[in-house]
Amino acid sequence: MFKKFIQSFSKTRPDAEPVAPSPAKPVTPPAAPANKGKAEVKGKGKEPEPKAVTKAEPPAPAKTAEELCEIKTGMSKEEIKARLAFLYRRYNSATSSLDAKLRKEAEIMLDAVVVIREKTFGPI
Amino acid sequence: MAEYVGVDLGTTLSGLAYLKPDGNAEIVPNADGERLTPSVVYFDAHEDVKLVGSAARDGGDPDRTIYQIKRHMDDPEYFVEMDGKKWTPAEISALILAKLKRECSRIIGEINDVVITVPANFNELARKNTVAAADMAGLKVRRLVNEPTAAAVYYAHTQAVKGRILVFDLGGGTLDVTILEVDNDSFKILTSEGARHLGGANFDEQLLDIYSAQYKAQINAELCTDERQRRRVLHAAEDAKKMLSKLQRVNDTIGNDSNGIARIDLTREQFEKTVSKLLTRAIMLVEQALAGIKLTTKDIEHVVLVGGSTRIPKVKTALEKHFGKPPKSCGNVDEAVALGAALFAKRSGRVREVCNASYGTLAMLLNAQTGEEAVQNSVVIPKNTAIPCSKTQIYVTSEANEKVIEVDITQGEDTDPRYVDIIGRISLEVPPNRPAGCEIAVTYSYDENQRVRALVVDKQSGRSQEVAVSYKGKGILTEEELKKRGTALRQLRIE
Repeated sequence: MFKKFIQSFSKTRPDAEPVAPSPAKPVTPPAAPANKGKAEVKGKGKEPEPKAVTKAEPPAPAKTAEELCEIKTGMSKEEIKARLAFLYRRYNSATSSLDAKLRKEAEIMLDAVVVIREKTFGPI
Repeated sequence: MAEYVGVDLGTTLSGLAYLKPDGNAEIVPNADGERLTPSVVYFDAHEDVKLVGSAARDGGDPDRTIYQIKRHMDDPEYFVEMDGKKWTPAEISALILAKLKRECSRIIGEINDVVITVPANFNELARKNTVAAADMAGLKVRRLVNEPTAAAVYYAHTQAVKGRILVFDLGGGTLDVTILEVDNDSFKILTSEGARHLGGANFDEQLLDIYSAQYKAQINAELCTDERQRRRVLHAAEDAKKMLSKLQRVNDTIGNDSNGIARIDLTREQFEKTVSKLLTRAIMLVEQALAGIKLTTKDIEHVVLVGGSTRIPKVKTALEKHFGKPPKSCGNVDEAVALGAALFAKRSGRVREVCNASYGTLAMLLNAQTGEEAVQNSVVIPKNTAIPCSKTQIYVTSEANEKVIEVDITQGEDTDPRYVDIIGRISLEVPPNRPAGCEIAVTYSYDENQRVRALVVDKQSGRSQEVAVSYKGKGILTEEELKKRGTALRQLRIE
């Protein structure tokens, strides 16, 4: 069914305008809580220079865990379980991404996944 | 000279073990008499000395103390600035390794080649940084091995088990889950999954929140007013966590210099409720590992606990509930990884490993029925493929008259390109004036040392280009820089 083409970067930059089947929803990072946002070590920091490529989308208004995970009313437990497993796999992997924005987004999404999981299936 | 040496370069504790002539592994203590060295570095303001270990952890100025540097090994932009000099995570790790090398070699003789353990989900950058750290410390990395694999080797060696095992390794900074088959002294890894930032330190942070809330309720003031104070509270929280693994209730007093002292009352139930979300994440990782190789909990014969955080009773009960049988401790949860690494150094030939990640390329995928096109991550070597391996995918060029074929090398299994890392690129010049649809073969090979090679062949002209896949982006020191910094580091006074 599928025919594969080499996507040559001389023609298109896929990380700039990706055509993806299921685009991720933007998430709004919560404000850093008091006493926690500080790096574990002080006198240290990130390189000030801007990132060359950013893959994550711009922030949007805060969403509920259901909205973030695209859990809709009427979904069966099996459907929710499958959706959460998919999101967990995607975002757990993304926590190790080279893209700092994606890593941040991943933590928010994993929190949302756990909220839905506990709400639907109870705490472990 | 110690021939087989293993190093557990941990988030909170590091250890070095060697293989004794009788075939058993033994931990080598550091010069402070400790079997495990806290992975903490202190830059003294008065003397030109770098303290590593307990001395660094317990007494120093937190502004000059580096904790848990391992958590930044995969961050291409992270650095530590101290007295005008920028230190990369690899350099800080090198200080820890240098202490282990210097002090342990006084007991077991010269140490050159080592096996170093890494979390299962360490990305390419973190793995390269680990090797760079060893290089700067004057150590040659014989192999990197996943931490749960090393622990499984130790467990199988000491317990003489057989069958399908799930290793649940909850350490100071990460959770790793590995499923493997053991048959006498042969090991076949089936899968390894890891969760970043899911370890004992995260439990401590949750307890710190309870301390802060109770303090505020009693004193009506903030408990953690600066980094030094936050470190103190974290230390107290860690102690309380350990106590709550043995007791149902713990009382503590905590205060700061400006606002006075408050009494903290903690129960195990309260702690378990607070960390339940972390535990849910942990169980979901177990589910992911099982699903990834199409197994169920019934297919697992032994669940083995590794890592200090598995002492938490709720971790055990959660796993028992999930698997329907109690997990077993590996016997030495704190040292199993280092000991297993030393055993692995000799037995690596008996351990069949798998690819830690999927490797692929970006390709335009065309749905012939709908005509829809989308750029996707096209996996060439899927994660969990037994290694060594070599896999080929055939692609065709999308445009006429392409002069250069550029193949992006991706790491990650997601089909959506936004969720994978591009870790390299191959450019192949091809003859001009050709139509679209020319076949290009992309072959990836993955060897026992977790080195990946990529070969791109233009089938029509026979032209090819082969490269060692190696992340060379931000966060990686150049060869020259590595040599220079290594030379400088080996001259430092490290205590």
